[in-house]
Amino acid sequence: MKRKLIGMKLTKVRIFVSLSVFILFIFLFLGGETLSEYLSNILLPFQLVPALIRILTKPCAIFIFGLVSVFVITLIFGRVYCSFLCPLGSLQDMIIALSRKIGWRKKHSYQMPQNWLRYSILVLVILSATVGSMSVLNLLDPYSLAGRIITKFIQPLFVWIYNTIVGLLTNFNIYLFSKEAAWIPTSVLLVTGGFFILILILSARYGRLYCNTLCPVGTLLGLISRVSVFQFVIDRTRCHECVRCEGVCKAGCIDPRTAAIDQTRCVNCFNCLDVCSKSAVSYRFSWIKAQKVAWSPARRGFIIGTVASVGSALFMFNSGIRSLLGNASASPSPPITPPGSISVKHFTQSCSACHLCVSACPTKVITPSFLEYGIGGLLQPKMNYAESFCDYECNLCGRVCPTGAILPQSKDEKKFTQIGTVDLLKEKCVVYVDKNNCGACGEVCPTHTISFIDKDNILYPEVDTKYCIGCGACEKACPTTPKSIVVRPNPVHKKAMKYAAKKSNMTVFQKKAPYKDFPF
Amino acid sequence: MEESRKTYRREFLKKGLSLGLVAGSAVILGKPDFILAKEKPVSIPDLVAVKNGEPDAMFKKAMSLMGGMGQFVKKGQTVVVKPNIGFPRKPEVGATTNPLLIKTIIESCYQAGAKKVYVFDNVVSPTSGNSRNCYQISGIEDAAKSAGGIIIPVDDFSYQEVIIPGGKTLKTAEVHGLILNSDVFINVPVLKHHGSAHLSIAMKNLMGIVKNRMEYHLTGLDQCIADFCLYKKPDLNIVDAYRVLMSHGPAGPRDGTAPNVELKKTLLMSRDIVAVDAAATKIFGKNPEDIGYIKIGHKQKSGNMNLKELKIVTYAM
Repeated sequence: MKRKLIGMKLTKVRIFVSLSVFILFIFLFLGGETLSEYLSNILLPFQLVPALIRILTKPCAIFIFGLVSVFVITLIFGRVYCSFLCPLGSLQDMIIALSRKIGWRKKHSYQMPQNWLRYSILVLVILSATVGSMSVLNLLDPYSLAGRIITKFIQPLFVWIYNTIVGLLTNFNIYLFSKEAAWIPTSVLLVTGGFFILILILSARYGRLYCNTLCPVGTLLGLISRVSVFQFVIDRTRCHECVRCEGVCKAGCIDPRTAAIDQTRCVNCFNCLDVCSKSAVSYRFSWIKAQKVAWSPARRGFIIGTVASVGSALFMFNSGIRSLLGNASASPSPPITPPGSISVKHFTQSCSACHLCVSACPTKVITPSFLEYGIGGLLQPKMNYAESFCDYECNLCGRVCPTGAILPQSKDEKKFTQIGTVDLLKEKCVVYVDKNNCGACGEVCPTHTISFIDKDNILYPEVDTKYCIGCGACEKACPTTPKSIVVRPNPVHKKAMKYAAKKSNMTVFQKKAPYKDFPF
Repeated sequence: MEESRKTYRREFLKKGLSLGLVAGSAVILGKPDFILAKEKPVSIPDLVAVKNGEPDAMFKKAMSLMGGMGQFVKKGQTVVVKPNIGFPRKPEVGATTNPLLIKTIIESCYQAGAKKVYVFDNVVSPTSGNSRNCYQISGIEDAAKSAGGIIIPVDDFSYQEVIIPGGKTLKTAEVHGLILNSDVFINVPVLKHHGSAHLSIAMKNLMGIVKNRMEYHLTGLDQCIADFCLYKKPDLNIVDAYRVLMSHGPAGPRDGTAPNVELKKTLLMSRDIVAVDAAATKIFGKNPEDIGYIKIGHKQKSGNMNLKELKIVTYAM
């Protein structure tokens, strides 16, 4: 009876924590500059894949702490990560709860483990990431997938509601700035939509099947929780074989025939504790017992083998092997990567395509790519100057990126980071073609790259690319179709020069006593 | 006798009633000129120029020389004050209209009995994804709010397409709804250097009330700027030439480099947008003949650039 009370509490605690975390994730993606940065620093060190990539690209204490905590917690308690911290897990739990309410799937049942499939996927993910393609990892990583679902489907809804309210408020003489949703290419929308539907169907029909077959994080944590300190155990002497526990097990990991619980697939939802009327299911300290019962050299070898292969894979992560598939940088015109991402190579090899930068970018210049980085960089974002431009005074993407794909830069550093340079196409420019004043590019250039030469009262633009940082403001402003001024990528980012005006021109000039008389 | 007097009285009542009705409805419909003969007082000058004062003092002096704000703003009217807030620059750079001047104008409008005074600009370079930073950095948001002005973000929902009568290049424009629906439009540009139009003054400032600004750039800035004046001219133009940006316009220098600013401490005021631009050009030190849109505006009869033909009142403080 006492145990049952604790069990009830644990499910409630789980629901409370996971819902709170999920709501924080929504705020992380949609909350705006300050909130996004703050939540990114709090939430993302504890997300396994971003933390792992961050430690391999640019280690920092909080991410090491986060990753170690996740592993230690799993080693002690099992896969609590999957039910408490994972945003995709929370999303699935909500779908499962809804499915149960509307009677789509009232009861769960035991499922055979798909060992061959899940371990193959884990190996494939590690191998492909090792040789330089993040694609498989990015497609399946639960955090990044949840991020993409929020960016593609929740964000437009949120923006629409916000703007409707802003529109209504004008009737009361309250004027606020409206928001803009990020631009998403159809291909990316289809891929994310496909995964969303897959998640919807899998979770509504089969509970946490995604987590136990496709999710590489779930499989990896499953391997650890196999030897966790606390485990779920069914006491056969108390059990009346009512199989209620099987019916509430979202992971489908309770086999009532053998009264065994598969620890590698259990996501620690605590539902079974809650439902067992005879207190036959318990969650207890059982390391010693488990080792006594299930000790076998083969299993030990498997564990050591896993640890060794993961370790060596991580070691190779940063070595030359990663260039095998990292071929995007070799293409003549790769996409332009955000400031702080060092190079196309660095970016494509460390971005998990969570699209947090896409959501957070104030000017919405960062948009997801589909195949522009090649098959090795599926869905990774790029600078899209057809849609917008990079704000000179902003460095938010580097401040929110959890994986180190876009490294944080100070504003001063960012203002001289040359991610590309402009090319003025005089054969298209209206000033050269029509001899009419235009100057749209020069107005918005933040770096004095564009200057105007006066010839018979017509002002002709000229560019000096040593000051250019490739922000795309001019490309966005150029009124011609196709554009007469375009940014060419720097596959490896460079440093722009600081503009120094001619001395005589720039001194503050103040007339001591303005003339008494007027020039008319 | 008795009879005819009665008829006379009845007739009088009838006439009086209908006259009253017409007058009343005319007032309600907002066309009081119909009954109140609108005569321009002889003393009102075409252009006023004041110098050597602070922005607020110069405005007050110029306005009194112009005949007072009551000339332009009547009781209960809505007013749009349109400064140049095109770039995220501090007032010291001279790329945006002086905030103190904006504040004084708004106060003056309210003193004349204005119901609401709106302030907005369709900014060229917003920072951090919205125009709020421009509004803030320029100091205009705080200045306008302190005087009770209503700051309007420029969003897509409120633009309406209009036809430019006789526009040579610019045939249509999408104009902000506030300009179309407000009673009084006061244009408050800053005089500054402009890299692709030579100078930005009053006519150029009207690019901030339209949405299809890029069409101007594409089809020829000078002609389009002049064409728009065929559709709408402000009721009053007040040119801020207190700090004048002499080079690197319209945005001014970046990264804290000292701006090339001349402290001219001048203010110009006129109903004639072409005349005020021509006068400001001379203040800058250039010839109005060399500025494309001023020449075209004069040719298209939007105003008079020959300052010698105008009644100009100048005052040095």
